[in-house]
Amino acid sequence: MTIQNVLHNIDENGERWLLLPLYALIVMTIFMEVFRRFALSYSSIWAEEIARYAFIYVSWIGASAAIKERAHIRIDVILPFVGERTRAVIMILGDLVTIVLAVLAFWWSLETVLVSLKFGSVTHGLRISLAWFLAAVPLGFAMMLCRLIQSIIRDVSDLRAGRPIYQGKKLFD
Amino acid sequence: MAQQYLMEQVEVILGWGFFIPLILMVVLILLAVRIWVVIGIGSFAMLLLTDVLPPTLLGEALFDGIDSFALIAVPLFILTGDILVRTGLSGKLLDVAEATMGARRSGLGTSTVLGCGFFACISGSDAADAAAIGRITIDRLEAKGYPKPYACALVAAGACTGILIPPSISYIIIGLVLGISASTLFLAAAIPGVLILLSIMVANAVVNRVQGYENSRAGFNLQYWLKTVYEGRFALLIPFIILGGIYSGIFTPTESAAVAALSAIIIGFFQRTLKIKDIPKILETSAKVSGVIVPIIAMSLPLAQTLASLQVPQAFVGFMTSMTSNPYLIIIIMIAILMIAGCVMETTPNIVILAPLLLPLAQEIGMNEIHFCIFMVTALGIGFITPPLGLNLFVVSGVTQVPIISISRYVFPFVFTMLIIALMIGYIPAISLWLIE
Repeated sequence: MTIQNVLHNIDENGERWLLLPLYALIVMTIFMEVFRRFALSYSSIWAEEIARYAFIYVSWIGASAAIKERAHIRIDVILPFVGERTRAVIMILGDLVTIVLAVLAFWWSLETVLVSLKFGSVTHGLRISLAWFLAAVPLGFAMMLCRLIQSIIRDVSDLRAGRPIYQGKKLFD
Repeated sequence: MAQQYLMEQVEVILGWGFFIPLILMVVLILLAVRIWVVIGIGSFAMLLLTDVLPPTLLGEALFDGIDSFALIAVPLFILTGDILVRTGLSGKLLDVAEATMGARRSGLGTSTVLGCGFFACISGSDAADAAAIGRITIDRLEAKGYPKPYACALVAAGACTGILIPPSISYIIIGLVLGISASTLFLAAAIPGVLILLSIMVANAVVNRVQGYENSRAGFNLQYWLKTVYEGRFALLIPFIILGGIYSGIFTPTESAAVAALSAIIIGFFQRTLKIKDIPKILETSAKVSGVIVPIIAMSLPLAQTLASLQVPQAFVGFMTSMTSNPYLIIIIMIAILMIAGCVMETTPNIVILAPLLLPLAQEIGMNEIHFCIFMVTALGIGFITPPLGLNLFVVSGVTQVPIISISRYVFPFVFTMLIIALMIGYIPAISLWLIE
């Protein structure tokens, strides 16, 4: 395994490696909770919390995966009517706008993490530092920023070489 | 409630702090920027220019706004639908639908719509419904004599029930925004959802009678029906777990979705239609769905809050009631707004932004909150098949490669009948409220 291999692997599968265990955790936690309520007439205060926080991680990491695959919803009223080059420019512009928002969101959400660390807030059920879970948002936006930069580099080189740009995957094909 | 709004009908003046971000958002939407980014930029610009709330609100909303147990049901209902498709259980549901309704003159068409309805009892998404049912039935409908674009239109219309028949992603989201429990909405939505399903069946039967596409006369065979139901027993178990669990109060919607998803996986292993190595792929798809839907919700909530602080909903109510105070007319205007919104934009941002805006207007004419939710989601549902931008048309066109323009020609009977039902739901509160009272 060279460094390059490792990096390539992360690029290909990074989101998947994080999404799968977290998502499986959500399903299993909720299922176990229901099972325990029936079989043992006992329910915990932390199970729901785990599911909720894991879901926030899944959502923001999933948003990064959706940027990689160009799966986010957009209204493409003008895209079918413009040429290949204009489309590439529109896509790059859209990525730049997204970068602006992602930088702002990263900054604000990082601030909520820092404030929480400063005041030492803990979760209701598990009584552990809330910062662990608040960090889901800046993590997601940091990943999105990487994906956006990758996407712009790819589109610009496609545009220059005169290749058609990456169309992305659709969710329900 | 209505009295209260009448009293505080003050003139609200919206300045540039409102209109500049609005124009910016329209421009960005037309430039095909990702919807959640447009909404995020819009709320940020509005917060910055108007100073009504601190911009740090956005940072908190990205965590607090989506920290909801009910919201987890959104990907889980898509997961369950996905597993049913992979294991072939959705085909079994269609077999049951066909054995039930197949003997009628428009048998296969009616069965297809009923199959959409069955699948809607499992998946909460209309796009998933359209893709799942369309892939199996459109070729069979064509073989029976329906023109292919008509078959596409029929499936697109039937799949609207994906969000209209519980469980439904849209009802979960509108419940989150307006603070109503999803279980209550699911109960209230049962009759309206089934009404829409029946109206599409009737529309198909009428079109078929006029055009003579299909002429099935098999006769109902009880023995065959019982055999099919027995063979489809595992597939039928899933909607039973979901709806039975929610309606009896045993499960919350989120719990029912998790239990149904795991049950479907276990059935798949048991029947050897699912392998361990299929699991990651299935989980990944619905995990990504949350990555697409949740950012829209997270960004829309602060926008809705900002609009509320700017008193935009009150200004809107004042503007509308200054034009007309006739409740019947206002209901028609609301349907028009929702249909237009529904055919140019995704349901999720429509719900999060328009629900707080339209609710005061609805309350002004005496609509109850729950009645309003049912009315709103039904009207948005019509937008899914309204050309040229209905989402279901895109999905079905993607599955079959039939151009949207040709599907659009055949979709109007369904838009028309759904519109009639939406008007009925608007005018007759009992349709939505009868079950919960």
